[in-house]
Amino acid sequence: MVGIESMSRYVSPVNPAIYPHLTLVLMSIGIFFTAWFFVYEVTSTKLTRDFFKECLIALVASVFMGFGILFLLLWVGIYV
Amino acid sequence: MSVIAVLCGILGSAVPGGVSATAYDSVNKDLLLKKVERKIDVASQVVKITSKITLENAGTGSVGAFLLAFTEAEKQNLAFLNAQSGGTTLQLSESKVQEHQDIKFFKVELKDSLQPGKIVNVEVECYLTHMLEPYPAVIQQGEKQLVRYLGNHYILTPYTTTTQTTTVTLPSPNVESYSRLKPSSHTDTSITYGPYDGVKPFSHDAMAIHYENNSPFLTVTSLERMIEVSHWGNIAVEETIDVLHTGAKLKGSFSRYDFQREHNTYSSVKSFKTIIPASAKDVYYRDEIGNISTSHMRIQDDAVELDLRPRFPLFGGWKTHYKIGYNVPSYEYLYNSGDEFILKMRILDHVFDDVVVDNLIVKVILPEGVRNIDLETPYPVERKADSLHYTYLDTIGRPVITISKKNLVESHIQDFSLKYSFPSILMLQEPLLVVVAFFILFITVILYVRLDLTLSKDDAIEAKMRVSSHCEMIDSHHDKRARQYEKLEEELQKLKVSKDVNQFQTATKKILQSIRDETQIISDLGAKIRLDNAEYADKVVELQKAEKALRDSMTQQLTNVEKLVLGKMTKQQYMDAETPLHKKKEEQLEKIKTILSGI
Repeated sequence: MVGIESMSRYVSPVNPAIYPHLTLVLMSIGIFFTAWFFVYEVTSTKLTRDFFKECLIALVASVFMGFGILFLLLWVGIYV
Repeated sequence: MSVIAVLCGILGSAVPGGVSATAYDSVNKDLLLKKVERKIDVASQVVKITSKITLENAGTGSVGAFLLAFTEAEKQNLAFLNAQSGGTTLQLSESKVQEHQDIKFFKVELKDSLQPGKIVNVEVECYLTHMLEPYPAVIQQGEKQLVRYLGNHYILTPYTTTTQTTTVTLPSPNVESYSRLKPSSHTDTSITYGPYDGVKPFSHDAMAIHYENNSPFLTVTSLERMIEVSHWGNIAVEETIDVLHTGAKLKGSFSRYDFQREHNTYSSVKSFKTIIPASAKDVYYRDEIGNISTSHMRIQDDAVELDLRPRFPLFGGWKTHYKIGYNVPSYEYLYNSGDEFILKMRILDHVFDDVVVDNLIVKVILPEGVRNIDLETPYPVERKADSLHYTYLDTIGRPVITISKKNLVESHIQDFSLKYSFPSILMLQEPLLVVVAFFILFITVILYVRLDLTLSKDDAIEAKMRVSSHCEMIDSHHDKRARQYEKLEEELQKLKVSKDVNQFQTATKKILQSIRDETQIISDLGAKIRLDNAEYADKVVELQKAEKALRDSMTQQLTNVEKLVLGKMTKQQYMDAETPLHKKKEEQLEKIKTILSGI
């Protein structure tokens, strides 16, 4: 077991000072793709719908929304 | 303080089934206490006794340890005991002597064994709680609080003392009465007993001091300290505190009028100070009904000072319950080396000066997925069974380490260290959980829009849908075609400048080919539309016709420019040919526009 003397102080992998900025950037991208996804879903008909395109938009939207929400939680003080 | 050194501070809690508790020690008759200076501080609610002992070995063999004696009552209330010799803390263990079953002993291991005829100085420090008895036990609002300290004029010890003195420190010169055993004297805020010479072992002479003590008699009956570690860079601390005023109880009713008007409210407590770490932020002070606004926070260089004022003043027998919480950055208390972590924090933190904590529970909530937990404490504590805590974005629950201890004082404000291993990759679990949740939502939507719950197929609507989808496709293919025309125009302009006919020909050939391809696709779509709706199909045909005308004039234009560049045509001829072509093109473009808006 390593002693405390040889250890370094632990800092977060992401600087807490940039949580607000990360939240805003990731969430805006996420919301844009989410909006695009829903607009696409309601305007396309079953003949024009492209499953691959839907999945791609959904994946991008969920990745950005997921990380955006995480940093939003951290920003507001819910340290998960 | 190093871990080994602080381990020596054996405390009030009984050591169950330890070797020292069952085996009997014997009193070494060779040991003499040459000189003992005892100081009893009864100025606050805690009795602090410091004794400077000069130990002499009057025998022939070397001695490695000696005994400290306490009465049953003292042992019950002994919160902290520490023995030092020349700056090093000595090891202490509980002990028993067969001939003196009514007396509790602690064995002190000397640093180096004491040789015959040699002396050693030992400083013993002990803190006793709940030893001061309010007398009278019930007082009125404006009355001063009097307490009684009952002790022993002599030092309770299994050894003969050559000479001993005791000094009692009081908070004020107001003493109702004090027991006298010559020689004794009272000066201002201290009473001195002794020196007494040649005192026999286990001598006892009752000491009673009845004096005024208006210091806050606040006992923390229960303190639950919750430490939540987040690897996103934060440690959240929350303390749930129950405070009881254990001084003389209030007689009769409480008069707010008198309380506000007169300032002779001696024993009641209006406010107290809590010191929290300097890096603390987002501090809150609240109880069941919300924020307690009567508090102040002062940020100092080395600490944050909270001036807490409960919702009501605390009189004897009154209690209050509140919560204090704050966040500290992880780098202050958490250390790591790869995936190995050590959390080094205080078991108990400052609540107010001269605090007495009856019952402490510390809960450390670690992140999900933590393994190999190893706890080290500076003094023995009771480790409860580990449990799980569920909060935001948790799946299997966060491990919670719970420790508890009874009867603590300020000297117990020491660090524990908690070792654990945590793979940092597990931090990604939380965001991925949200990502998956969102993706499931989207997939649900994708599946929902594909649900067709109609019982009978409506051909008219189907046909309409087909036509509209084909029209949409025509629209997009026409857009592509239009862009190709734009490219052609560009090539034209380029040629006029570069005069490179070969390059121009290859480029235009390619563009014209893709225009033809798009046109073919549109014609095919037009044929499909005809199956459902002839009207729209006609429009497509019309569109194609207009496009054909446009293409013809475009090709004509291309040939003309080529000729002009090669010198087969004069400038005048070219200009003459260009004007009608241009006009025709404009017409066709206008026509296409109208047709498209119709589709």
